[in-house]
Amino acid sequence: MFEKTLVLAIIVQLFIASFSSLLVIGLASFFDPSALDGYNSPRSNVGIVGTGELKQFIVKGHVSALNYNNLSSAVTDFYRNKIDAIIVIPKEVANGSEIIQIMTYLPKSDIKGTFAMLQLKKPLEKYEAYAQDLRSSKLGFEPIRLIVDKSPKKTSTYFEFIYGILIPLLVFTPVFISGGMIIDMITEEYERKTLDLLLVSPLSFSEILDGKIITAIIIVPAQAFLWLLLVTINRVVVHNIGLLLLLCGIVAAIVVILGAMIAVWFRKRMVSQYLYSLVLIMLFLVGYLFANSPFNLATRLSAGSIGAEALVYFGVYAALAFGLYVGVKKMGTR
Amino acid sequence: MSIINIMMRGLFTISKWELRRTRSTISLKIRFISIFILIMIGTASFFAVQSGLHINDNIYKVVVTDDKLANVIRSDSKFEVSVLEEERAKYLFEHDNFDLLIIGKRIYYQNTEKSISAFDSLDKTVKRYNEASLMTFNDLNNTFPVWVSIENVAREQSFISPSVNKLPEVEQSLNEISSSGSQSDQAIAAVGTPGIGASVTANPEIGKSDSSQLPSIKEIAGVQQFLPISEQTLATPSHISPPVPFKSVVLSFLFIFPIYFIAQFFSSSIMEERIKRKGELLLVSPVSSFQIVLGKLLPYLLGSIALVAMMTLRLGGSPWIILVILPISLMYLSTSFLGAIIARSYKELSFVLIFLSVFLSGYIFFPAMFSNVHAISIISPMTLVVRLLENETVSISDYMFSTIPFYLVSILIFIFGIFIYREEDLFTQKPISGKLLDSIQEFIKRAYVPLFSLSIVLIPIAFSIQMMLIVLMFNFPIRIGIVFFIIVAAFIEELVKSVGIYTVFSRKMSDVTTGNALKFGILSGLGFFTGEKVLLLVVIASISGSAFGSVMGAGLLVFPLLLHITSTTVASLGIRYSGCRYYFASVILASVVHAAYNLYLVRVVILG
Repeated sequence: MFEKTLVLAIIVQLFIASFSSLLVIGLASFFDPSALDGYNSPRSNVGIVGTGELKQFIVKGHVSALNYNNLSSAVTDFYRNKIDAIIVIPKEVANGSEIIQIMTYLPKSDIKGTFAMLQLKKPLEKYEAYAQDLRSSKLGFEPIRLIVDKSPKKTSTYFEFIYGILIPLLVFTPVFISGGMIIDMITEEYERKTLDLLLVSPLSFSEILDGKIITAIIIVPAQAFLWLLLVTINRVVVHNIGLLLLLCGIVAAIVVILGAMIAVWFRKRMVSQYLYSLVLIMLFLVGYLFANSPFNLATRLSAGSIGAEALVYFGVYAALAFGLYVGVKKMGTR
Repeated sequence: MSIINIMMRGLFTISKWELRRTRSTISLKIRFISIFILIMIGTASFFAVQSGLHINDNIYKVVVTDDKLANVIRSDSKFEVSVLEEERAKYLFEHDNFDLLIIGKRIYYQNTEKSISAFDSLDKTVKRYNEASLMTFNDLNNTFPVWVSIENVAREQSFISPSVNKLPEVEQSLNEISSSGSQSDQAIAAVGTPGIGASVTANPEIGKSDSSQLPSIKEIAGVQQFLPISEQTLATPSHISPPVPFKSVVLSFLFIFPIYFIAQFFSSSIMEERIKRKGELLLVSPVSSFQIVLGKLLPYLLGSIALVAMMTLRLGGSPWIILVILPISLMYLSTSFLGAIIARSYKELSFVLIFLSVFLSGYIFFPAMFSNVHAISIISPMTLVVRLLENETVSISDYMFSTIPFYLVSILIFIFGIFIYREEDLFTQKPISGKLLDSIQEFIKRAYVPLFSLSIVLIPIAFSIQMMLIVLMFNFPIRIGIVFFIIVAAFIEELVKSVGIYTVFSRKMSDVTTGNALKFGILSGLGFFTGEKVLLLVVIASISGSAFGSVMGAGLLVFPLLLHITSTTVASLGIRYSGCRYYFASVILASVVHAAYNLYLVRVVILG
């Protein structure tokens, strides 16, 4: 029975994993189009209408561009799918004082438009910086500029998504599942009336409860470990694995005991699961409200930004779990 | 007439009971508690909106020598900043795990993923700080001189990405494109030159604080909200982001949320009857299982429609959203119904439901993330919700394309579920697979040309799974994606075609002879072929030009027919000779045959 549960839980996890890896690739490719180079990404052509200083920036920016004299011929080619974006070079100059407004036309709901815009973004940003420098110096504004010898060409999106969102989610998903599981285990005994049978045996209710709670808690670090293994196989370095497992064990204790309290109190699965889901949503939100929440601790531990110092916060959470445990025991003896 | 009347009366009586039962389960106390928790959730989300979510707090460690710079960096809570003199800072950077070292204004980073990412993040923080400082000048022309207007123009989208150009169907699709090109000529006039000279200066928010040179941290955090004015049609170059409609996706999640709960209640209610054995009484009463199931479903379905209607009213969306979400609710309710019938315990029910809802949510939400990006996103009804939320129009054909599979699959699940809504399946400890086979057996007993029609009837399920696969494949390199898709799709089709034959043989519904195996294989294959072609006419027309479409059978007629019959016969002969125990091996063998043919068909694409 226990094994089967674990197998099912792992299948569910693998399933979620297939989605999350997809999300990672999808998101990363949006913010970092160079990541798509190996993916036969559709090449997008940009039509440039008119001439002006902006054109130099676009030409330098390795945009595959076609030149047009007027908008209507560009629009014709746009509808023939020859080009996937049109940019109209404005008459205003960077050194002037007028707002420089650049018109662009993109195909609606089309990935080629996204690619075209991503190509144009860099040159446009350079042009903006150029114009901003020229004009803001008139105001006496000095921007903060940091110097670097060789700037790396990588964005932080991927890294921050993996450690900030993905890993905490992976580590804590088993916790949520376990909390639901303890409710199922307890309410089923009530509803099938099998609890009476169990109580005839030398076990007390409190001991039965302990057994169930321990089962639900223990499988959490085991599952989380498998997750982290999977992540590591995908060449993501995870630091402090031991501490991470300890953390998710403590959080599992909190959530599982809460679930057990709800189940013992209401004895019906329908109601208990409903209230548990509500409590879970609340805990989830609260988990993002402060800097040393389990979520953010998991982020920092896995990224290696914090080490054994985190144990202080572990202690606080363990104390909370212990308090809840005393509470559920009191409910059980009633 | 009177029969229908009696049936409806029975149905409504069941609905009334169900409603009364739920009402008594959810007592006043529970209502109070849930309102209390909801208020807490509201408060928590209020704080979340106020102070922002603490994601990635203190993830990077930076050591600087300049005190002023430290304050700038501290404006972003991702950084843990230490200020030290040069020697000490250098030492710590080399020996402790600091990600960045800034001496004066010069940054040093390490060649690790984390350090490089810290560098990029710092770059963004400094930029944001500079922008916030610029905003304190009350002079838009000189602080943010460059603005980009983005006009999204509807264009007939060809489904062929350039690398798939060499497909057999390519000529046909090219013709389609050129013909649609001439149509859209009229639309050019409509595009014209709208929006040029739109007033940029009408933007009072920027520069409201006048003289003070240094922005507060709150102002820096606010930059993101200020600058992309009106949903990405006008932005400064550094604030242009790809058109991923996160906001609408999150909003559309709110619509689905209550449905999760309602489906959860529905399955709990059915499971509770099974566990407490209360349902037995109903089963011996004169009401049919069909009436019982529909009667139980009705309150939950109406409840979910009412909730969605209320949300639409509150959030101010188009009333069509209700119609788009209806098939989604049906789908959640049908899967939770099936889960509640096949599971043996609450725990099993939870796992079955988690599994199904993760799959469903993936199917629904993942394509919707790309709703402004790619046409494939239409396979999810959620995309239509996102579009409606963004005040775009949705055509009838879009609606049909994305919702028909949902309607068909959920109705199917209900029918198959009702087949096993009986004593021997509800109140025994049969394994899940046994119950599923039971329902197929019931279908075979009742249907006219059983194996032929079973294949047809199961097509929507195979189709939906394949659609999901297409979505999954879209992010992989196209060649690997196609190969993987072909293999998995073949396996699913073979499974669907042969499951009836397996049921007939394993349940001893007919003699296990070679003749029967051949006959069943041909019938089943023929059924699938027929259903697939009908389905193609109805829904897949719009993707038939793509490589995926050709794999799904958009090509010639004779070869697919032969293929379906041959591969199914392989599976059925496999069951005949190796026995039912090696069923999966037979299906795999059939899939190999099936996949080989399809791979041959698209060989040009795969080999380049």
